[in-house]
Amino acid sequence: MSRTVIELTDVTMRFRMNSDKILSLKEFVTTALRGKLDYQEFTALDHVSLQVKKGETLGLIGRNGAGKSTLLKVISGILKPTAGSVQCQGTIAPMLELGSGFDMDLTGRENIFLNGAILGYSEAFLNAKYDEIAAFSELGNFIETPIRNYSSGMLARLAFSVTTVVQPEVLIVDEILSVGDAAFQEKSRRRMMELMGGGTTVLFVSHSLEQIREMCSRVAWLEQGRVKMIGAPAAVCSAYV
Amino acid sequence: MRKITRAALSERMEQYHIFNRVAVRALLGYLALVVLFFFLAGEQLHFRRSRGEIAMPAADSGTVEMAAGNVVEQRFTTAVQRIEQVDVQWGTYYRPNAGAILMELWDTRDNTLLLLGRFDAAAITEGGVTSLTASQPLEGLYRIPLLLRVSSPDCQPGSSPSPLMSVQEALPDSSLYLNGAAADGVLCFAVHGTDYIWTGLHYWEFAAVGLLLLLAALAVIWYRVRLGKRSYVLNAVVATEKYSFLIRQLVARDFKTKYKRSVLGIFWSFLNPLLTMCVQYFVFSTIFKSDIPHYVAYLLVGIVVFNFFSEACGMSLTAIAGNASLITKVYVPKYIYPLTRVISSVINLGISLIPLVLVSLGTGVALRKSTVLAVYFLSCTIIFSLGLGLLLSAAMVFFRDTQFLWGVLSMIWMYVTPIFYPESILPDNFKIILWINPLYHFLKNTRICILDGISPEPTVYLHCMLLALGALGIGSWIFRKVQDRFILYL
Repeated sequence: MSRTVIELTDVTMRFRMNSDKILSLKEFVTTALRGKLDYQEFTALDHVSLQVKKGETLGLIGRNGAGKSTLLKVISGILKPTAGSVQCQGTIAPMLELGSGFDMDLTGRENIFLNGAILGYSEAFLNAKYDEIAAFSELGNFIETPIRNYSSGMLARLAFSVTTVVQPEVLIVDEILSVGDAAFQEKSRRRMMELMGGGTTVLFVSHSLEQIREMCSRVAWLEQGRVKMIGAPAAVCSAYV
Repeated sequence: MRKITRAALSERMEQYHIFNRVAVRALLGYLALVVLFFFLAGEQLHFRRSRGEIAMPAADSGTVEMAAGNVVEQRFTTAVQRIEQVDVQWGTYYRPNAGAILMELWDTRDNTLLLLGRFDAAAITEGGVTSLTASQPLEGLYRIPLLLRVSSPDCQPGSSPSPLMSVQEALPDSSLYLNGAAADGVLCFAVHGTDYIWTGLHYWEFAAVGLLLLLAALAVIWYRVRLGKRSYVLNAVVATEKYSFLIRQLVARDFKTKYKRSVLGIFWSFLNPLLTMCVQYFVFSTIFKSDIPHYVAYLLVGIVVFNFFSEACGMSLTAIAGNASLITKVYVPKYIYPLTRVISSVINLGISLIPLVLVSLGTGVALRKSTVLAVYFLSCTIIFSLGLGLLLSAAMVFFRDTQFLWGVLSMIWMYVTPIFYPESILPDNFKIILWINPLYHFLKNTRICILDGISPEPTVYLHCMLLALGALGIGSWIFRKVQDRFILYL
């Protein structure tokens, strides 16, 4: 039996939703004085327990607002759960959404280093792997131009190349395989398969059931913050539809 | 019984390893700093200008014409521990005088002559002073009754000067005798000297106590490691090493984007303080120039220090809010963001020290060993700014008004800090504002180190360090407490 990489026990994530977001001191004081400082509680995750084993590819499906992204954020340590515990082992590489973590004024090369550092790569590693990253992204000479001139497809390539150069223990993919041209999509799909074959645990969010069926070994269906169903892709997907 | 897994064991070994490295570095660093400080601080470590000095009273009348046979005697005591100089002020009746003047300082307990000076009456000017200077500071005269005797062996009436006196002012434990007769008032005389500094006299004892404290802290950390508990200090060291590459990348980004597409690029870090100085010099030089020696350098030190402070805080302010896209996507310790902003500003500060050194040398401020001590006070400014930066960056997340408030606050702060004016122009009831302004202390002592070429008193170092660490402590404590809620507000 392979070991458990991610273990969530009874994780609850509650947000305080102000009726309207107060962002200034004056508003805060005036509303507090009027006694209107009421919060609406919104439960994004409701007692979620989940175990992910090493090498698994867990697909997450659910409607918008079902708590998929919140779950990923809790796992990657960005959000601290209101209750419950999260235990993760090993390095977690979040697949950054387009552009985040990039600085638009820097060149592709500089962004590879910046983004690599944010993802926790070491300097020696990046120096050694730089050529591989640049080659995989197929950006050619554009790698030396500021990325504000890039198209969104080019940005996606760069992001994907940087993130997957390392063999992370946990890879988080949030709707990213749908960008880039057909050839690059195919290439990135192959790279993903390669990573999964190499024992990386993947958490995969997608609205494309076709992709989920093809790539995942297990699927969790979230609805209103609860795990409604978890199991083999075919069964869960057909229940979901 | 607790089972120790292999992973836990290797982690323990790792912790011991890190601990050894930290301990060796901390001890060597401490010893090096203690010795370096001892040499750099020099005389000022042991002596300070005495607080018991007697200042020259304002003259309002003359005593007696100092012709041969006349004698003016001033009995007094002082709280100066090491008397270096005694001055007497003269009136000349606005005429050329001739002859010799004798000044004697006696210890009246056993009538020993301590100092003797002979002066040419012709050289004395109206309102001028003659000074008895001790070749070696006179010690052991603290609160001892002394006698200052002024006489002349050969001056003729009509061509001799007269020591001035003040009828209005009075000095405790003193009496004035003119030709043996007691008189009201006090002779216009001054006593200068230095006092021993208690902390300086016990410097090595203090250093030893510091060493013991350091050892105790290390022992506590070691004990925690042995128990297998986490130690904040070691964790911080590990985190800093782990994230040093990221910090460097973020600092590099700050720099690259700051001067992107500007022609002069990094030269602006160099030019900015110089240009500000030029403007302020032209505006303020006519008002303050005469009050302040080395006004150009005085101004530039103020501008460089305050620019750093306002830049570091201003950039930290938006550090969290501005990196929202990153913070909501990937886990990085959040203090990294304000920290990198402050580090960028420190690099800027380093660059702007170049024009400061050049201008100082160009305007005749010599570089002495005390100049190095300015680094200490600059470090205090940096630590203080980091603390405030953490606080501001956290506040900014919850209340976006912080940036506008800070704009006003930093402007007020600029005016209550003596950057372009001398602190002496402030009225006494305003001094409390200076005193509670940490930036004033850092700035004042940086100036003492650079412009006066001497070290401030030893206790000042402790005072400044406490101010800086206090700000850092409060800032990081609040930051730690609220950082988990950042993401909900971004």
